[in-house]
Amino acid sequence: MRVSLNLADRLGRLSIAGISCLVLVFLALPLVVVVAISFTQTAYLKFPPQGFTWHWYWKVVSDPTFVEAFVVSSQLAAAATATALLLGMPAALVFARRNFRGARALSAVFLSPLVLPTIVLGVAILQYASALGFARSFWALYVGHVVLVTPYVIRTSIASLSGMDPALEEAAQDLGATRVQTFFLITLPQIKPGVIAGALFAFINSWINVEVSIFNSTAQFVTIPVKLFNYIQFNIDPTLAAVSALTIYIAILVVVAIDLAVGIEKAAVNTTTNARS
Amino acid sequence: MRLTPVNTAVLLLGPIAFFVLFFAAPFALLIGESFARPDGGITLSNYVAVLTDGYYWKALLNTLLISFWVTVVCFVLGYPLAYFIVFHVPSAGVRRGIYVLLVTPLFTSNIVRAFGWIVILGRRGMVNSSLIAIGLIEAPLDLLYSKTAIVIGLAYILLPVMTLSVCSVLQTVDRSLIEAARDLGARPSRAFLAVTFPLSLPGVVAGSIIVFALSVSAYVIPSILSGGREMVTPILIFQQYTATFRPDIGAALSVVLLVVTLLLIGAYLFFLERRLRVAV
Repeated sequence: MRVSLNLADRLGRLSIAGISCLVLVFLALPLVVVVAISFTQTAYLKFPPQGFTWHWYWKVVSDPTFVEAFVVSSQLAAAATATALLLGMPAALVFARRNFRGARALSAVFLSPLVLPTIVLGVAILQYASALGFARSFWALYVGHVVLVTPYVIRTSIASLSGMDPALEEAAQDLGATRVQTFFLITLPQIKPGVIAGALFAFINSWINVEVSIFNSTAQFVTIPVKLFNYIQFNIDPTLAAVSALTIYIAILVVVAIDLAVGIEKAAVNTTTNARS
Repeated sequence: MRLTPVNTAVLLLGPIAFFVLFFAAPFALLIGESFARPDGGITLSNYVAVLTDGYYWKALLNTLLISFWVTVVCFVLGYPLAYFIVFHVPSAGVRRGIYVLLVTPLFTSNIVRAFGWIVILGRRGMVNSSLIAIGLIEAPLDLLYSKTAIVIGLAYILLPVMTLSVCSVLQTVDRSLIEAARDLGARPSRAFLAVTFPLSLPGVVAGSIIVFALSVSAYVIPSILSGGREMVTPILIFQQYTATFRPDIGAALSVVLLVVTLLLIGAYLFFLERRLRVAV
């Protein structure tokens, strides 16, 4: 016989809902205040912001050093993502379709940049690039970022590949398609949403990285997060808020794009937790 | 797709070559550097320097202490939220909104999130101006640049990770077990303590370890929110390359950080295995 909910049970339910709402406010708050303060008319940071102006945004887009940092970050993230797709999809295909001795260890190595200290990867790339003569250049940033973001592509691709029916591929092969044809005509269209989500995860994680970039850029040649990191040491002003707000808008766009591709719930749980397939 | 050994080798050639050249080799060089003597020999002196100096130990202990509190805060805030998402949110639309709120901070640079906390906790920030406006205090409080500020900042960054980890396990909890406990007369609180919580424990442990490991190696948040008053190992590493120019010491400290992280990851994988067994 089931006991009906008494007052204490109802209070319990209510307090879980209450705590959750507070936690959600906690999650949104820092981003909301940054956006709010980027419109302030005061020349210094003041909360609550006063008035409304686009002035700080104009200041950012008319400052060539900020624009250049945005360009560097975009080029870097695009190049790293493209390479991550070229490296990660074949690897994911192998891990999802073939079991061989050492496969698990190998996939653990490919996924390890997700959990190893990013600052140590930054330092290691700096020393390596110095030894080989390409320190603090686009290529040093590029190789570091590729290592950093390839795991996202591998993880989402494995999840999509395991979710699709292998009989489709086998049918195509039985009907005489080559493996390359099978991949591009059957497999890729099936896993496309997952691959897009993985590419977006890769892009954004390159775009927001500080630790690898800070060791491998120069004062003139910087990505936007490193530019912000250097800027915040000396100035805390509404210009900083405007640049930060711009990066928040980009984050929201990427979240929406992932939601449209595969649904944000599935993507979040697949990519951020270690669900193995 | 049926892959022959030759197919497998061709597909893995690119990724393995890239990771050997730009992941394994740089780490090997870094480890080598930590044992290198200026004249070319092998030495343990960098490690002796790092492991016998109280200053480095203090920084490491501080790092571990901060990471411990970050993990506690993430659990206390993240578990109820995960439970709420999985069991209490009836509408798919609302759940989707909550996931957007969880993921958007993850897609924002640490530096932007740290800046958000400066705006909230700073002397002219949100908390201080609110407290002054309602007359509770007269002069602004020093909320920033402390251990507490670092813990808040890191917990903020890692809360989505903990929540998603617990969510992924709670989703797999067999609801008929909870129903059975309720049908046998257990109150919701007792059903939770006797059934749901023990079954979700592997997700809690896995989430805690990953949160702990990521806070141990965090650089940006401690660097911005410490204001130079708190020292953690990643900041020490950074200084060896940018201020004191001791890459040999920096390499040894990096290896220490790497070893601490690998031990944590080992523990994580151990619990992941158990979680799989529980799920089966």
